[in-house]
Order: sequence, then structure tokens, then C-alpha cells
Amino acid sequence: MAELLAPTLPGRARMRHSAPAAVSALALIAMIGVCSTLQPGVLSVQGLTLVLSATVPLVIAAQAQMTLMAVGDIDLGIGAFVGLVTVVTATKLSSSPLVGGLVLLGLVAAYALLGLLIHLRRVPSLIATLGASFVWLGLGLFLLPTPGGSTPEWLAAFGAWQPAGFPAPLLPILLVTALVHLLASRGSAGVRMRALGSNPVALGRAGLRPLTSRVIAYATAGGLGVVSGLALASQTGGGDVSSASSYTLMTVAAVILGGGSFSGGVAVPWGAAVGGVTLGLVSVVLSLLDVRSDLQSAVQGGIVLAVLAGRVLVGKVLR
Amino acid sequence: MNLRVTRSRPWIWGFAAAALIWLVILAISGQGGGQTLSLALSLAPYLVIVGLGQMLVVTAGPGNIDVSVAPVISLAGFASVAVSAGTGSALAGVLAGIGVGLVVAVVSTVAILGLAIPPIIATLAAGLVASSVTLHLAGGFTAVPDPGLRELLNLRPLGVPALAVAIAALTWLTVVLLRRTVYGRSLIAVGQNRRAAERAGVPVSRVIATAYLLSGALAGLTGALLATYIAPSADLGTRYLLDSVAVVVIGGTLISGGRAVPVGVWGAALFFILLDGLVNLVGWSTAAQNLLKGGLVLFVLFLAGGGDRARSTAPRLRRRPRPAAATTTTTGDNSDG
Repeated sequence: MAELLAPTLPGRARMRHSAPAAVSALALIAMIGVCSTLQPGVLSVQGLTLVLSATVPLVIAAQAQMTLMAVGDIDLGIGAFVGLVTVVTATKLSSSPLVGGLVLLGLVAAYALLGLLIHLRRVPSLIATLGASFVWLGLGLFLLPTPGGSTPEWLAAFGAWQPAGFPAPLLPILLVTALVHLLASRGSAGVRMRALGSNPVALGRAGLRPLTSRVIAYATAGGLGVVSGLALASQTGGGDVSSASSYTLMTVAAVILGGGSFSGGVAVPWGAAVGGVTLGLVSVVLSLLDVRSDLQSAVQGGIVLAVLAGRVLVGKVLR
Repeated sequence: MNLRVTRSRPWIWGFAAAALIWLVILAISGQGGGQTLSLALSLAPYLVIVGLGQMLVVTAGPGNIDVSVAPVISLAGFASVAVSAGTGSALAGVLAGIGVGLVVAVVSTVAILGLAIPPIIATLAAGLVASSVTLHLAGGFTAVPDPGLRELLNLRPLGVPALAVAIAALTWLTVVLLRRTVYGRSLIAVGQNRRAAERAGVPVSRVIATAYLLSGALAGLTGALLATYIAPSADLGTRYLLDSVAVVVIGGTLISGGRAVPVGVWGAALFFILLDGLVNLVGWSTAAQNLLKGGLVLFVLFLAGGGDRARSTAPRLRRRPRPAAATTTTTGDNSDG
């Protein structure tokens, strides 16, 4: 219930709550700093557009993961789901917007149904979403056995949009995060979701149905997964079911970097956004630094560990 | 199927599903049921070894999972083949594979226990480092697996693969470990209620660390054997991450920890391998293969359900100890099989 109490508690408690995201933000600033000393062009509008664009789908997928982690669940199928959405976008949505739109709505409904079954049958979300990931993968391969297809024109136009004055990728990141913030941290649905994560018995005693909360959380996650897939397709210009397979664990890492926890009850939309951008930037920084491609994942792992270790230290100081 | 029977023997579901798939294969092909079984038994052990390690980690309590098994298998494959080709000794190669698994596990264990990093993140990071080393090794790799060991892995007296017998013995050892030894009992106690175990004087950190080290060693062993059986490659272990978690849970082990079912890993592994065989037999695409696998996993999962009526919500990953967890263990038999 830490998050519920946070606005009423001054100073220290609030700091402890936002400290993890602050540590990640510091890492983020440090990385941009390193980038800009190597390549002064990075700090220009064009440079930031280039650097940030790769992180957009990851950040949105991290919001989906954050929603489920807020109710105490975890989604190990989000990577395959985002991949499936890019495939639907590149096939159905570009040939017939109506059919494509219906298919995407159906996918959101499938997520809600998954949440419903997980709740009713009392099965662990970890393994159910793992099983669902095979289904998403299968559906994606069924629609498009090899990567390809083409994205609808309006989506491609959005991907190529370059307004003057500010980096375009910042817009979807801020917009989606603000929406999730309104829903998860301010709205009544958010209170229900976090209550389910922190104390389901109390939620039931308050006369609210835990089932509804979980289904809302899963439907939200499905919707965000669809948005993430659209964002990814707008950048790649095609569909590939395995294009986002690394998202599954990366989104979990992003939420943890942003201050979320596995035990649920905490919603950290801004933290998840910071964590997602940090993780997404790592690969950009490494390619700028000319790090060999086979070393990139090792450095990525090292940075995750270093940021979390820093978080532990900060937590000890604040305690 | 009687509900009480399935509740006290949670491994039945995996074997039932495997038997069902086997019957379908038999009905479609119309011959060679024994041959199918023999082939499944020669492929399943690899999944069982890594599954047993994953099971020990999962048993250590809520949130404990080892997602580094896939990169460890790939890395151990390269390391063991390189060492056995360099020294000419297959045993040294296998030991090198196990050693690689242990080294990666040490990294994640230090991060989990020393830095209080959530296991899924710690093992992910350690795995990322391992996959980097794998990619580094894979460039210009020319060594070939030891022919003697490969022959041994292919040995099938009377149609029963020798490896399956060896791994069955390993499974039995795991059962003994969990049921009869202080370590096994401590692991189950930690998984059920970490704080209570701590108060009872169980060295919690040491118990959890040992579980991760065992998982790393077993994943390393899988990599060494698999690379000899097939060939070392950078994505040798990729499918084993999801599969190892899936076989553990379908086998009846509680994902929230505190109940381990080693025999169930066999049933679920046979189910997965036979499913692959069925799809190959029918000639379906990988798309249908994944759809069928996911659909069946979800079907078995939702049919079997989880937890009991006393629990108000689904068992989930959470750090706080739940008093309700104790209700699943009132039978006093926590290591079924």
C-alpha cells in the first residue's frame, strides 16, 4: 500500500518510493552525457529522434508489463504478443483496416479472457502467460511465416513524422505514460488494481470484486501491447513475430529499474518509462561507442546489475 | 479422474497428457508405438536434466526462477566441445560444461543474495553476459564433439536409451535429496515460508544459493550433452528456457515454491517431446506446432487448476510469506514421486 499512502506522507517515505526511478534516471542522464561527448550531434533534435525512436515500443510494452506487475502478476508473453501485433498490422490492417481493427480488438479481448481464466482457475500468471506466448507465436507464424508485409500508409507516415522543434518519439512516450499514470495512479481502476496487488482480501471486504480488477488490468495490458506493436511496425515497416522476443524480459527489467516490484501493489508508470528508455538507450550508446556486437548484451546485463546495485545502496542510505 | 487422486499426485496430468499424445501418434501412424516411445525417451532426458535444476530453484520460494538456463546451455555446449577436443577427454569436456554453469550461477547468486536483486533480473543479467561469451566463442569455432561420448548418448540396448536410464537414476537421486536429506527438507521449508525457516534456524541464504548452483550445474551438464548429441550452436539452449519452466509447472511443482515433484518433470517432458513428434508426423508447420503446444499447455493448466479453495487468489509471485501456503502441505508429503 506504499503507493496509496505516498501522497499523504511527506519527505522520506516519498523519497524512498521514488528513489529507484531516480537512480535509473541518473543512469539515463549519464548515458546521454557519454553519448553527447562522443557525438555532439546526439543532443540536437534530429539526434534525439534517432536515439529515442528505438525505445518507443519498448517503453509502451513496459507500461503493459507494469500494469500486470501492479496486480502482482507477471507477463512472460508480451514479447511474442507485440510481435504478433506487428504481423497483424503488416497483413490484415494494411489490406483491410476494418478486419485488421477487429482482429486487434479480438487480441485485447483474448488478453482479458486470459486474465479471467487465470483468476477463475487460480493458476499462476507466469505459466499461463508463458503458455499464451506459444499461442501468440503460432498465430503470428500462421499469418506471416517469414518476416515481411507492409504497414498501412498512415502508420508509416507516423513513423517517418519529423516535426520541427522537438524529437517526435518523445510524444508517444509521454502521451502513453501520462495516460497510464492517469489510469493506474489517479483513477479508481488504478486503486482497485493496486489493491488487488497489495491486499486482495481487503479489496474483497471493501465490496469490490478482485475478478473485475484483474480483468481490467489484463485488458489494459493487452491494449498497451497492441499500441506497442503498432509503434514497432511503424518503425520497421513490416511484420515479424519474433522481432520483439527480447521485450519479455526487458520489460520486466524496465519495471524493476523504475521501482516496481514483483509483489504487486505499486504502479510506477513514470519509473517504467525511465527504465525502458534507459535499457533501450544502452544498445544505442554501445553502438556509438563502437562496442563489438557480441559484447553488447554483456554490457547491457552489467548495466542492469550496476543500476540495481546502486538502488540497493540508495535504499540503505534512506533507511 | 478422481479429484483427490490428482491433488495428492500432481504428476499424473503430465503423464496422462503424454499417454494421450502417444495414443494419437499410434492411431495416426498405425505402427511402431514402441519406436516412438524409444525416440521420445532418447530426447526427453535433456529437457528433464535442465527441468530438475529449474524445479529446485522454483521450489526455493516465490519469485525464484532461473532464466539463465538457455544461455548457459549454449555456452556450456561450446565450452565442453572445445575442452574435450583440446584435451581428448570427453569427461573433461562434460566437467567443463558443468563448470561453466557453476560460474554463471555464482554470478547470479551473488547478485541475488548479496545485492538483493530480484532473481529473474539477476539471472537475466548473468545470462546476457553468458550469451556474449557464447557469441565470442562461436566465431570461427571448428572443434567437433567427442565421437565416443556421442556413441554413448546414442546407445539404445533393447530400445531403451542408456541416457534415459541414467537420468531416471538422477531423478531418483533428486527425490531422495528432497525427501531424505537435511538440505532437501530445508529447501522445501524455505520455499513454504522463508521467515519461518529462518526463525527455525535454517541457513536460508546457503540453501537458496545451493539451489541456484545446482540449477547452473545441471544446465551446464545439459549443454555439454546436447552439444555432443547434436552440435554446438549459439541458439542450442534457446527453447529450453520456456520449456524448462513449463515442464516444471505442468509436472505439478508449485510455482510459488515449497512443493517439488521431480517425477512430474518426466511426464511433462515426455508430453512436450511426443507433441513435437506428433506435429512432425502430421507434417504441420511450426505455426501449428506452437499453436498446439500453447493451446495444450493452457488447456492442461486451466483444467488442472491451481491452489485450493482456502486460497482467495491465484498463487502468484510475491515476496511476502502467506499463511495460506501451509494448507497445501497438510498431507505431509511435499516431494511427491
